[in-house]
This record gives sequence, C-alpha cells and structure tokens, in this order.
Amino acid sequence: MSLNDPNWGRGGPRGPQGPGGGNQGPPDLDELWRNFNRKLNEMFRGRRGGGGADEPPGGGPSAKAFGGGAGVLVALVLAVWLASGFYIVVEGQRGVVLTFGKLSEETQPGLRWRMPWPIQSHEIVNLQQVRTIEVGYRNNVRTKVLKESLMLTDDENIVDLQFAVQFTVKDARDYVFNVRRPDETAMQIAESAMREVIGKSRMDAILYETQVDIANRAHELMQSIHDRYGTGIQVSTVTIQNAQPPEQVQAAFDDAVKAGQDRERQKNEGQAYANDVIPRARGAASRLGQEAEGYKQRVIANAEGDASRFQQVLAEYAKAPAVTRERIYIETMQQVLASTSKIMMDYRGAGNLLYLPLDKIMQQAGAAPLTDAQSSQRPSEPTPDLGPRSRESLRGRERGER
Amino acid sequence: MKALGPVVAILVVVLLLVSGALFTVDQRQNAIVFQLGEVKEVVTKPGLNFKWPLLQNVRLFDMRILTYDDVEPLRFLTQGNRPVLVDSFVKWRITDVRQYFISVQGDEFRAATRIRQTVSGTLREQFGVRTLHEVVSGERDVIMNQVRELVDLDLKRIGVEIIDVRLKRVDLPQEVSESVYGRMQAERKRLANELRATGAAEAERIRADADRQREVILAEAYRDAQRVRGEGDAKAANTYAAAFSKNPEFYSFYRSMEAYRSTFRGRTDLMLLESNSDFLRYFRDSLGRQSSTRK
Repeated sequence: MSLNDPNWGRGGPRGPQGPGGGNQGPPDLDELWRNFNRKLNEMFRGRRGGGGADEPPGGGPSAKAFGGGAGVLVALVLAVWLASGFYIVVEGQRGVVLTFGKLSEETQPGLRWRMPWPIQSHEIVNLQQVRTIEVGYRNNVRTKVLKESLMLTDDENIVDLQFAVQFTVKDARDYVFNVRRPDETAMQIAESAMREVIGKSRMDAILYETQVDIANRAHELMQSIHDRYGTGIQVSTVTIQNAQPPEQVQAAFDDAVKAGQDRERQKNEGQAYANDVIPRARGAASRLGQEAEGYKQRVIANAEGDASRFQQVLAEYAKAPAVTRERIYIETMQQVLASTSKIMMDYRGAGNLLYLPLDKIMQQAGAAPLTDAQSSQRPSEPTPDLGPRSRESLRGRERGER
Repeated sequence: MKALGPVVAILVVVLLLVSGALFTVDQRQNAIVFQLGEVKEVVTKPGLNFKWPLLQNVRLFDMRILTYDDVEPLRFLTQGNRPVLVDSFVKWRITDVRQYFISVQGDEFRAATRIRQTVSGTLREQFGVRTLHEVVSGERDVIMNQVRELVDLDLKRIGVEIIDVRLKRVDLPQEVSESVYGRMQAERKRLANELRATGAAEAERIRADADRQREVILAEAYRDAQRVRGEGDAKAANTYAAAFSKNPEFYSFYRSMEAYRSTFRGRTDLMLLESNSDFLRYFRDSLGRQSSTRK
C-alpha cells in the first residue's frame, strides 16, 4: 500500500467543489493561505523541533520577485492544489481526516476543507447506509448457494438455511482503522456464528419451532464477535429467510408433515363418529325414558279408571245384587250374540244326521257389511227386534232342525 | 528571469531530498527504518517521520486485524474415523514488527502460510480426540478457544497475535452426506408411519369409546325405563287389588262379562248355542223353567 496514494483506503476525496455545495460559503483563499502557513509552521516546529527541512514557500513578497507570468502560473497551481482539499460529507456520513497518516479529526456532514495532499487526507464512512449480507443465496432466495446454505445440526442432520444479516457502521474510526476489509469480515462472522448456533440446535426445532430464537442467538453471537474485533459494526437484524430440509430429503419431510395432518384427520373422523353416535344414543335413551314414563302413566290411569268404574258398579250392585247381576248378564249376552253369528241347536235330536256347512256360513258372515258389524259392536240398549238376517238364519236353523 | 533556471533546479533538488527524507506512517501502520539493511528503528506512532535519504529506507506494515481464510476446506478425521470438511478463518494481527520482519521477512503471504500450517495442525489434533457430535455441537467453541490459545502461543514467536480462530463450516464429505440423507429419509419415514399409525389408533380409540358410551347410555336408559314401567305396573296392581278385593266374587263375574263382550264381537265368530242354555231359558219356556225339569 503506497503512502503516496492520496485515495488511501476506501472513499477518495471529492474533486474541488463549487460554492454553495455545503452549508458554509467558499473560504477566502488568502485567509486559507495564511492558515496553511501557520499550520505548516506549527507542525514542523512541533514535530521535529524545526530541525527538519526548512521548506516553507516564500510568502507574498517572494512571489512578486518571480515577476508577472511565472507568478500567475505559480499562483494558479497553488490555487488548484489548495482547492483539492475540499470534500463533501453527505448527511449520514462521517469524514475521518488524517494528518500525515495520523488521525486528527472526525468531521460532520457538510462541505469540508482539509489541507491538500500530501499533508492531510480523509476518508468517508457511511454510517446510515444499511449493508446487507446474504448467506446461502444471492439476490433471491431461490438462487441458492448450497456451499453456504447446507449446515450440520446438533442431531447430525443437514438443514438448508438461508439468512440475511443487516448491519450499519456505528463507529467510523473503528471501521476504518481496526480491521482490514470489515465487510468481508462481517460475512465470515455471520456464517461462522450462524453455523455455531445451528450446530447446537435440533433439526425439528430449526425447521418448525424456534427460528426467531435462532436468529436472536446468532445476532448476539455476531455482535459479540464484532465487538471483540472492534470492527465498529452494529448488527441490526438477522433474519432467517428460509429453512428447509435439503432437496434430497424434501419429499420424505413433506410426507412426514402430511402424515401429521393425516393423523389429525383420522382423529377428527373418529371424533366426528363419536359426535354422531353419542347424541343419537342420548336421543334414543331419552325416548326410552319418555316412553316408559308414558307407559307408567297410562297403566296407572287405566287401573284407576277401571277401579273407579268397578267400585261404582259395585256400590249399585250392593243395593240389589240379584237384579243387577241378572241385568248385566243378559245385557252382555245380548251384546255378544247380537254381534256374532250364531246357530242354535237342540241336542236332543242329536241322533239325526245334521249337515252344518261351517265354511259357507263363515264366508257369508265375512261378506257381511262392515257397518252392520260396527253398529252391533256398539254397546247398545237391548233392542227387541232382531235384524232380518238373524230372523232368516233362525228360520233356516229351524228348517235344518226339521 | 535569468535566475529562474537555477532557482527551479534548486527547488527540484530540495523537493527530492525532502521527499526522500520524510515519510509518513499511517494510523494503521507501523514502520521499520532500515539502515543499509539493518533494522535501525521501529516507528509505532503515526505521523510524519524523518530518515536519511538514500542511506536509510523504510518498510511499512499493516497493523490492522488481518484475515487468513481457507480457500479449500480441510479434511479432518474425528474420533471413530469419521471424516469432516472444515472451513475456518483466522483473525490475526502483527504485534511485534521487528520479530515479524525477522521471522517471515515481513511477507504477509509467508506469514499466512505459517499460520495455516499451525492452525490446521492444531485443528487436526483437536478434532482427532473428539467425536463428530462434539465437534459440530457441544465443543465447537471449546475447540475454537483451545486452538486459538495454542496457535497464539506458537505464533508469538513470529510477532503475530492470533485474535480468533473460528470454524466456519463443519460439513460432512459428499459420500457421507448421502448416507446422512438416507438416514434422514428413513427417520422421516419412521416418523410418518408412526404418525399415521397412532392417528389410526387414536381414531379407533375414539370410535370405540363412542360405541361404549352409546351402549352404556342405552343400557342405562333401558334400566331406568324398566324401573319406571315397573313402578307403573305396581301402582296399577295395587289400585286394582284395592278396588277388586272389596267383592272378589262380583269382580270375577263383572270382569268375565266384560271379557265376553270384547272377545265375541265379530260376524266371523260363530257360536253354536244349545237351546237349553241359561240365556235361552225363556226361549222355550215363558216361565224360564229349565229344560231339564221338562225332560
């Protein structure tokens, strides 16, 4: 690295700038010249006790001695030389000024002037710019860099992980002076720290659970390493873009995830069955209960009704037992015989041949009009007149008897 | 104007002398001043410095933290002869410029070679006594610290401080990776099968439980229903008994009549009547005398 390089390191000095570029007006050249001489003198006196080269260029009077053309030329060269000391520090940046290689000041944003080369030089560091490192991919998560993204986990599995680290410069001096190529160093630290954290985590945890936690741990580790090196870098965020099993085993992992869902589905189906069966059973149970209750009420009511009827009849019966009994008997017989088919026979003539076509009689009875049967079913008052059919049958019977 | 030529000449000579006699040492650098090849002075402070032109010359050394980063991952064997590929980087810094110059002639490349040899040797030792799991997980930082200390001790002799030795990648070689993938696949398959099987078992359990609950619910309901019916029957029997026991004989008559009524009720019921039945006693005899008496 040459000392004679005015652009030593990174940001080179800006070229001479016109007025109005910064927050201060153009400095007066004469004043600058005097200032320069004074600084130079101070410097040489301070450093080497004036024993060094005695080289201060002549002041105004000696310039006159050169005469017109040459004087103008020299003045012009001088002016350009002096103007090369202007530089601009943009908002969010810091300037670092070196005097003969020694750090002399840190400058704030604005138009700045330093003494021209070879006396002073400056470097500009952007503090606000957020720098990003992408590990395991470039530009897009899909364009993977497998060499960086495949990592070994605690349980000796391999995980494919892409992450990004964002950082800013918190200390311009540290950033410039402590470490060579700090940005590259940040990349190395990022990769190393993340791999250390992943190496201590289990595959399932990385894939399905604690990605934020891992990012936080890596973040802390990175920052502590940066602080140890004194890179002047502040790690602002660590984000895991993507964590997945390597392509070779992706299908198996997907299947395992699917299996987990299958399991849930099966359980849900079982639950659905249960939810169908149990309420139905409860319904049936409640029907059974209600029916039983209904039966109970009915049986009791019937019993009470029957008992009550009987008791009332019994009360009347007690008043006139014989008549009542006879009446009930005859009424019942009337009702029974009125509604059924009947044949009256006299067994005293049993010796005679008696032809009784039962099946025909039954057929005839079956074809009888329903209304007739119904009316006869009704417990009616004993009617003296019998239906024509009964009369007929009675006659028939008598004929048969004959 | 005549005097201009000599003036310019003198000026040029003076400038040459000055530029040969002055040198700056940057904030980031240290310098060694050599006098005819002999180390005369070590400049550690930044700033403008003086040397004798022509007689003395100067070499500058970068004093910042430098990096040695492996180009190719190194292959080590862990305990149990399992190979791993290890990618590491070393952060180092020159602490003693004089020593550094004497040892490696101030050549950064030679210094890096020296560092690489020491670090890889030490790493090899450390890996050899540890299992793969320890290397990857448990003792990663222990290894890094131990290697750093050991290497630092060794490289002090060449005027170099080792700030840090960090493992970047610890990977399995390709052929081993394949077998790891195979194992991972088998593991996932096991997990998937287990999940499916336990899912089926769980579903079956839920179904069986539901069936059991149904049986229990129905049985209990039946039990309760029967109890209620029994209560009804008992109450009814009690009521009947209470009423009918007042006159059992009349009850059997009354109840028989009722039963007759409801038994013989249709045309399809055919009755064969004997003329001497009690019902028909007036049918033959207006006084109702039994036929047997007439016989």
